Amino acid sequence: MRSLEQTVKLVPPQARISQRISDWLAIGACMAFPIAVSLFFLLNQSLRLDESQSLWQTSRGFMDILSTVATDVHVPLYHFLLHVWRLFVGDTVPFDRMLSLVLFVSSIPVFYVLGVRAYDRDTAFFATFLFSISPFMNWYANEIRMYTLFTLLVIINQYFFLRLFRERPQSDHAWAGYALSALFGIYSHYFFFLNLGAQIIFYAIYRKLFAQGSLARFAFCASLVIAAFAPWVLFVIHIGQFGFQQPLLGKPSFVDFFNAFGQFIFGFHDDAINTFILSLWPLLVLLGLFSLRRSAGTKPETVFFLIVVACSAGIAFVASILVSPIFVSRYLIFLLPSLYLILANLFSLYPPGMRAIVQTSAICLVLLSLGAEIWSSATPVKENYREAATYLNAHVTPQDSVIVSAPFTIYPIQYYYKGSVPLATIPQWNQYAYGPIPAFNAAELAQQVNSITAGSQNVYVVLSYDQGYEKALKDYFESHYQLLDSENFSNDLSVYAYRLRYNTPLSAIPFTAATKH
Amino acid sequence: MHRFHEPVREDFLKAEAPKWLLVLNAALALTYFLVLAFLFPIGNWLLFSLLIFGEVFHIWQVLTFIFTIWDVKDPVLPLGGEDLGVDVFITVAGEPLAIVEKTVTTALLMRYPDFKVHILNDGLIAAKEQWREIRTMAKRLGVHCITRVTRGGAKAGNINNALSLSKKPLVAILDADHMPHADFLAKTAPYFREQRVGFVQTPQFYKNHADNYITSSSWEQQEIFFGPICRGKNRLNAVTMCGTNMLIRREALLSVGGMCRDSIAEDFVTGLLMHARGYKSVYVPEVLAEGLATEDLSTYSKQQFRWARGALDVIFRWNPLFMGGLSWAQKIQYLSSASFYLSGVIVLIDALLPVIYFYTGLLPVRVSGMFLTAVFLPYFFSTLYTIVRASNFTFTFPSLCFSMGSFTVHLRALYAAMTFSKSDFGITEKMRQNGNFFPLVAVHICYVALVALGLECAFLREGLSASLINNTAWALLNIGVFMPFIYAALPEKKVPQESEATAVRIETYALP
Repeated sequence: MRSLEQTVKLVPPQARISQRISDWLAIGACMAFPIAVSLFFLLNQSLRLDESQSLWQTSRGFMDILSTVATDVHVPLYHFLLHVWRLFVGDTVPFDRMLSLVLFVSSIPVFYVLGVRAYDRDTAFFATFLFSISPFMNWYANEIRMYTLFTLLVIINQYFFLRLFRERPQSDHAWAGYALSALFGIYSHYFFFLNLGAQIIFYAIYRKLFAQGSLARFAFCASLVIAAFAPWVLFVIHIGQFGFQQPLLGKPSFVDFFNAFGQFIFGFHDDAINTFILSLWPLLVLLGLFSLRRSAGTKPETVFFLIVVACSAGIAFVASILVSPIFVSRYLIFLLPSLYLILANLFSLYPPGMRAIVQTSAICLVLLSLGAEIWSSATPVKENYREAATYLNAHVTPQDSVIVSAPFTIYPIQYYYKGSVPLATIPQWNQYAYGPIPAFNAAELAQQVNSITAGSQNVYVVLSYDQGYEKALKDYFESHYQLLDSENFSNDLSVYAYRLRYNTPLSAIPFTAATKH
Repeated sequence: MHRFHEPVREDFLKAEAPKWLLVLNAALALTYFLVLAFLFPIGNWLLFSLLIFGEVFHIWQVLTFIFTIWDVKDPVLPLGGEDLGVDVFITVAGEPLAIVEKTVTTALLMRYPDFKVHILNDGLIAAKEQWREIRTMAKRLGVHCITRVTRGGAKAGNINNALSLSKKPLVAILDADHMPHADFLAKTAPYFREQRVGFVQTPQFYKNHADNYITSSSWEQQEIFFGPICRGKNRLNAVTMCGTNMLIRREALLSVGGMCRDSIAEDFVTGLLMHARGYKSVYVPEVLAEGLATEDLSTYSKQQFRWARGALDVIFRWNPLFMGGLSWAQKIQYLSSASFYLSGVIVLIDALLPVIYFYTGLLPVRVSGMFLTAVFLPYFFSTLYTIVRASNFTFTFPSLCFSMGSFTVHLRALYAAMTFSKSDFGITEKMRQNGNFFPLVAVHICYVALVALGLECAFLREGLSASLINNTAWALLNIGVFMPFIYAALPEKKVPQESEATAVRIETYALP
């Protein structure tokens, strides 16, 4: 494949201009696609748990944002941006999500430029197109979280890093861009350090190919990063307690490891589809064999992207096994651009006919996956707290109680809940008080339930994000009270209605067993 | 002739794989094998045994490959000293006159102080009509023509006959289509100044490698052998004698009774016998002669059969493991080279395992989760990358497919070797043969049909289970690898058109 520079030299000036215009029109179409997907399908979904926490955290002053984000084991750049964004666009879920969409759409042309820098125009185009239709990216482009900001900053940082690798002489602009993107990046997500770590490994391998004096300048950038991040580290240490508002993560298995990569390419699907995708893994062997062609060797840029993907995923996985579970696909979203460029480069090595077939098939499969992710109610990441709250709004009376478990799921419920009955949690937790969520204690369950439901006619129990005690909770209610109703609103989110008292007139009962069972 | 795949001529001779990669590859290979063999519940014992047998073979091939290419010690051309005289034998048995004449005239142009060209004309014995024209051509060119009249031994017999009618201390052997460069003798003969050097081998480069799909694929198969493998064998004093483009010390050849007449791969066995006698071998990593690759699938298959049969004979009749005079490195090298042709069995096993599952539901191991995947994929890709690096990025998908697709030929050769049946030394045709080559890929096509039918059986039995999907993927992998071989059976392949940019880039390579 001809590089961009070679193309430019061979193509006459007027053709060059029209080629540039058509290139950017194509990029524009890539940018328009996720906007259309968001507007028509994804922006208006129910608020999800993580999003509700983002809204809750950014509904306060800057210092409060800092402390809540610190305890939430995240870094605050996105939260500051969201806080300011909400001041300007208002406070509805779709508009709050648009910040993530804007960041994702902005990353598309930057990703294209990265692809051209690393490889060539054709490879970059294909990778960019895949990136723009990616189910994974489109999902997080519609989530009030930091992931598209994180991805954008990683792409920018990698672009400048590769510029510094190849440019002779290295420009001050490139160094400034690299340093600035690193400084902002470390405050977008902790895993940005994995991106920097991959660059260190790459530099160690290819140090002789960098310009003279690079080591000193990289060291200077590193010292800037450390100096900029140190205050945050000290602040977090000063705060003391972390992670009490997050669901517990379990130790990942190899299924989770490969699932993450399946999600990067095909998005989120239920277990049956995930199993189907993962079972096809021998085809990876065939895809690798197809790329065996006489060539000039592996480009250093490919080695760089491979290091980013393999080392980052490997470190996160091993750390999850040995230290603490941190292997979550959304945290590794920054691998996606590298992965797509590796795939695009791999396909570019195929003979022309095979390349066309494989690229077309890949696009069709990804689009199909995106469609399934959007339309399937079984998509596991869909959380329909809106409908659950709507149900509560319709059925809960002032004589009733509402219990939410796991406790941190109170955030999305209370966003939509309009009832007069306060929401309680089991384990009992005051979300406004400093400190972790209390652990579940089976011995105290009866006492907690009684204290919440004292004097109530019925209790509505909202269960989601099982932290290991959901069954115990449900069994308690099933064995002590009469089940009046149960509704499932999305994967792992259900509401159960139980009757607490029998001395109420029939007319006061909102529904009878005959209508439901 | 417009070349699309013209390689830089010496590309395949240049690379070395870094040692860290070789160590990593070995470690991953052993890890994968141990995990597979010991960590999962066994399904069907017979299938498990077959699977393990196949994986043992793969591990053997990986480890011996790593052992071979671990280090490279290219020979240094000795300077000074006496130039020994060379009898240049050009073996002819029915090849087209024009090709033979070209080879002879090229040989006459070699720059070396003392050599004599002989045409070893086996046309009379082989009942080839142009043997008289060969004799006439030899007379016209002033070249000695030895027309054999006594049958026996095929090419080996032909060479041995010529040995008795010539006398220079060194013998160069060239096939009828292998044209030597002018410096062929100048760059090979000096190695014989060391007394114990028995033979010097150079690469078999195919100058028609870009003519069609089969010539390019068969050349690409050769690159890894004549590249990193032969350079590694040089270090281990275990160079394979390849039958052409080589120089032999007459005394050494006669000490083992001349070229071996009892094997269809007379060169391979003769080299083995010379090593057992304590003679040294040298591999010169430079293209010094250029021949012709097979141009059709039928000729290619016949050539593969001859090589496979000859190599497998070594295992069954001249097993180096029990042969005295060889170092352990040499034993391993000969066993490794010979056992390569057992791969036909392994390809068959690997191809049949998913098919057996489709029809019976039987599995060799019960794998749950993705742990096996997590150890297999690193092992597989590290092995692939090792081969690619070792071959200086000349190893291609078609060459892999031709190796694996030839499994039917290798199986026939194995059967013939095990039953000690007689196989004819078929001369490799130098001109493209026309005809219907689909019988050569009938087994491969049947495999596709078996998979298609089997899928239906399995689906009816258990629906879209994870095992069904996984085995389907394995079957598709096998089919994907067989497809280029099936494609080669189609009439007349041209090398596919590359993009204009690639053609421009290739055209700028300087040809010697």
